[in-house]
Amino acid sequence: MIVPIVLFTLEIAAASTLLILVPGVAVAWCLSRRGWRGRMVVETLVSLPLVLPPTAVGLGLLLLVGRARPVGGWLYQTFGVDIAFTWRAVVLASAVVAFPLLVRSARSAFEEVDPRLPAVARTLGRGPLGAFFAVELPLAWRGIGAGAVLAFARALGEFGATILVAGNIPGRTQTLALALYQEVQLGRDREALELAAIAALLAAGAIAISELLVRRREKTLAE
Amino acid sequence: MSGSSFFEIAVRLRQGSFDLTVEAGLGEAAAVLGPSGAGKTTLLEAIAGLRRSAGRIAVGGEVLQDSATGLFLPPERRRLGYVPQDGALFPHLSVRRNLLFGRPHPTAPGDEDVAHLVATLELEPLLDRYPRHLSGGERRRVALARALLARPRLLLLDEPTAGLDPLRARKALAGIRRVQGELGVPLLVVTHQSEEALALASDVLLLEAGGVRGAGPARQVLRAPSALAREAGRHQENVIAGTIVQHHPEGGTTEVRINGGEAVTIPHTPDLLEGSEVLLSIDAEDLLLATSRPAGLSARNAVAGEVDELIAVGTSVYVAVGPWLVHLTPAAVEELRLAHGVRVWLVAKTHSWRVVAG
Repeated sequence: MIVPIVLFTLEIAAASTLLILVPGVAVAWCLSRRGWRGRMVVETLVSLPLVLPPTAVGLGLLLLVGRARPVGGWLYQTFGVDIAFTWRAVVLASAVVAFPLLVRSARSAFEEVDPRLPAVARTLGRGPLGAFFAVELPLAWRGIGAGAVLAFARALGEFGATILVAGNIPGRTQTLALALYQEVQLGRDREALELAAIAALLAAGAIAISELLVRRREKTLAE
Repeated sequence: MSGSSFFEIAVRLRQGSFDLTVEAGLGEAAAVLGPSGAGKTTLLEAIAGLRRSAGRIAVGGEVLQDSATGLFLPPERRRLGYVPQDGALFPHLSVRRNLLFGRPHPTAPGDEDVAHLVATLELEPLLDRYPRHLSGGERRRVALARALLARPRLLLLDEPTAGLDPLRARKALAGIRRVQGELGVPLLVVTHQSEEALALASDVLLLEAGGVRGAGPARQVLRAPSALAREAGRHQENVIAGTIVQHHPEGGTTEVRINGGEAVTIPHTPDLLEGSEVLLSIDAEDLLLATSRPAGLSARNAVAGEVDELIAVGTSVYVAVGPWLVHLTPAAVEELRLAHGVRVWLVAKTHSWRVVAG
């Protein structure tokens, strides 16, 4: 019973990380540039899920993607796709909550790139996108990687937003964190502890990888 | 601004409280000279298209930007070889990949100009290294080659010797002059040293905080009384080209034939090959004037010339003798009866000479 839950949790975390990777890097790059209107607004919106109670985020998502709600209703009528209380809602909740972690890490990585480097790339004939892929992205990838791993770890443990928008349906939306909660509710402490131990292992692994990436980046920069 | 200028610049640069209007026409070898904070780098970035500025910039007859018509070529379409201070090499790429970064077809055959430039700038042993393992001088050479290999229509150099020790600095200037001579590529160099401006450029744009102090042929601009007054208390360098004739290690000297035919002795500089070209400099303060050929002096150098003009600046007089500028007091001018056309000998100690490039 534990293995499918762990696998499902890993899949969900991986899917939500992949989902936010490209938009997260794009937003991080924009935030690393100075001097454009609305930067503060975007910055605040992006960081909001970090400080809001996850249950509030979940409630907000539910109001958006529920079958009777604007976005959810449109999706259901147009594509026949349900979001709320399916695995998609689990991915969505994890993605939204993990997004700021990726953006923050990627953004500081972009800020550490010497702005003259993409400028020189431009004078050597690369367009803005060319300079981004040839210079900025390779120089910032460790920071982006570290952010992605952090986002993945955050998604692994997501609980509050998920339970509101996806419920706690065994076999359908039940992740490790949700299963743990259920076991405690049912008074099955031993099973709950097992799940907690696995969660701790997964999280520790992810944090270690993230630290490793950041440290090697600092070493490269220091040289 | 003359229509035949290679660089035609008429821009207004603004950033916060910084506001600089530049209007100048300059020839194919130009220097922007001024103290730090005068906006030199800002101007360079504007020419490169890395900074938006109002106005018009044309190079070699092609308009790069013009607010009147709304034209603004992005940097990648200006084809200018921008070499920022300290080179700004891509740290994640080897020297080889840095060099080929701007090539339209990195693997195209017949890249003999790559090989040629690598040889000229002595880059062969560096090709597989990474920028973090290069010295300051090596980084700049790589950056110069990288810019040239993108086949730019001109070079933009920002303080090409800043932070280099005197030996590396003169090697760097010699390298740039070699490239300039061989490839005939026009350049615009930004510097705070008039020595460097004179070494690389024939035209100078003299900037000062808030504005242009002068623009035109280098000697003319630098000899304007206002320019000399600005430099008051600072050294006025005479920069002159020459050829190494012979080394005299036992005498501690090296003999250099300066353009014009006269030989001068400079401190022994064994790394310069006999027959190679050098640029020498000497401060206007370190030159003596005599109205007859001097004899019985320890100074080893006496160059004959004629007084062109006397430039009075405050309590100083600068005496122009051909390419030379000599700093005297009004009393000395009086005593020697110096005036236009008077025959004089310039006298200098061996150790007053410095090698600027070589």
